[in-house]
Amino acid sequence: MGTVVARLVRAEWTKLFTTRVWIGLLLGACVLSGAFAALFTAFAGNQDSGLPPLDSPEYARLAFSIATNATVISVVLGIIGITQEYRHRTATPTFLATPQRGRVVIAKLLAYALVAVPYAVLVCAVTVAVVLVYGNARGNAPELTGENLEVLAFAGLALVVYTLIGVGLGALLKNQVGAIVAALVYLYVVEPLLRSIPATSGAYKWLPGGALEAMTATFQGPDLLEQWQGVLLLLGYGLAAALLGTLLAVRRDVV
Amino acid sequence: MRAVDDLSFTVEPGQVTGFLGPNGAGKTTTLRMALGLITPDTGTTTFNGVRYAGLPEPMRQVGAVLETAFHPARSGRDHLRVYCRATGLPVRRADEVLDQVGLGTAGRRRAGGYSLGMRQRLGLATALLGDPAVLVLDEPANGLDPEGIQWLRGFLRHLAHAQGRTVLVSSHLLAEVEQTADRVVIVGAGKLVREGTLAELRSGNAGSVLVRSPHSTALADLLRTTGTTVAPTDAIPDGLTVTGLSTDEVGRRAFAGGIELHELRSHTSGLEEIYFQLTAGQEQYAAAHAEQGAA
Repeated sequence: MGTVVARLVRAEWTKLFTTRVWIGLLLGACVLSGAFAALFTAFAGNQDSGLPPLDSPEYARLAFSIATNATVISVVLGIIGITQEYRHRTATPTFLATPQRGRVVIAKLLAYALVAVPYAVLVCAVTVAVVLVYGNARGNAPELTGENLEVLAFAGLALVVYTLIGVGLGALLKNQVGAIVAALVYLYVVEPLLRSIPATSGAYKWLPGGALEAMTATFQGPDLLEQWQGVLLLLGYGLAAALLGTLLAVRRDVV
Repeated sequence: MRAVDDLSFTVEPGQVTGFLGPNGAGKTTTLRMALGLITPDTGTTTFNGVRYAGLPEPMRQVGAVLETAFHPARSGRDHLRVYCRATGLPVRRADEVLDQVGLGTAGRRRAGGYSLGMRQRLGLATALLGDPAVLVLDEPANGLDPEGIQWLRGFLRHLAHAQGRTVLVSSHLLAEVEQTADRVVIVGAGKLVREGTLAELRSGNAGSVLVRSPHSTALADLLRTTGTTVAPTDAIPDGLTVTGLSTDEVGRRAFAGGIELHELRSHTSGLEEIYFQLTAGQEQYAAAHAEQGAA
């Protein structure tokens, strides 16, 4: 089974790199993180912006967690990875080539997890470059050591895990546009609302966003889990999405 | 909705088998169930005794095209390479099958720009990747121009007769498979209507006699004995269609009964007519069911 999954992973990479979707998403993620990094550095220490000053440890944590803004693109990458099979009806030849559908989904999860690593590294590198270069130009860039390095690593890990959540969500909803819209609404409307409403902010720490914030948080926010708990919880969400996606893909008819 | 009900048949190697039925008769559903894409309530399909999902390398044993499915932004060649990788075939197979189906250089262009006929050829190429002994093709002639249909006929015959493969081709048009298929399996409303060679299909329906007489009612009474059917025909006034009797026998009986005849001839149905008779009304039945399903 190992060799079968290995060649299915290669098949997934062939699918991914023979259309141009990946370039667009990669550029989008780099631009998004780079722009946020520039914005935060520009307004660091500005009284009206409420951002901590350039030389503070709070700013350093914030700056090196900026890559987490690109988690939305990770989710979209994962969603497209699986829903394009349904959108363009290639699920039929794919499952004809591999009737053991669980293997197909496992291969997709592996393929996208592995692709997400260099993608996360690149997005983090762009963020760091902007923060360091622009910070130095403004007179004081944070150092990429110790706790700051840890925050950066967790931000990168979050990019990978959100890709897996995207694959699971795609398998769950099948409809590409529907899944992307659902993900955007959840990330930009539902979670921020739950976070800000006092009655539900206690539950927020158990959501993916809460886990992500626990991993990389800087601001005074709502009640959050410990950092390591956040890591485990987010990995748990990725795993749950993957498991659910596999089960559904195996059981549903392909028509 | 019950799309396919208690349908059972066997497809043999070295022959092209036509899988015929009007739209909505359950052909595609049957093929999807056979290939493990849809789970039937009961029943199994096996390829050389093994279910599709149990075949160790299914694409190397069964090549199937159920629809022309590909990512529009991916080239035909890249599409094929994906499945080479998934099945552990060398990627040069992609170029080989492209040549085989006559796509050649077009394989490097985006598949989204292909004509319907080129899409059908790409589908066929996908099925041929693993050099399988069994081919299952759902409506492969859809969208082909006359030249393409001519090519497909020759190609399928070559695959079955010269190379000894098992070829199952579905179609809603008899004319499409009439020159290709050795055997046909006809379904209507999810059930088996008729199965056999084209010759069997022809001979089974050949023995009807057309007879015309001014005393058609009396003649009908005279001819209506066990093993015969007599019915008024729409084709000519005062005409009767008789089955189970030869023209000689009809003439003899009319002479013995003293009934005047104005016309007596044997009538052989064309295949298209037989197919139409066999499946008449099935389409309406399917449509009515679909409406119920939607309501």
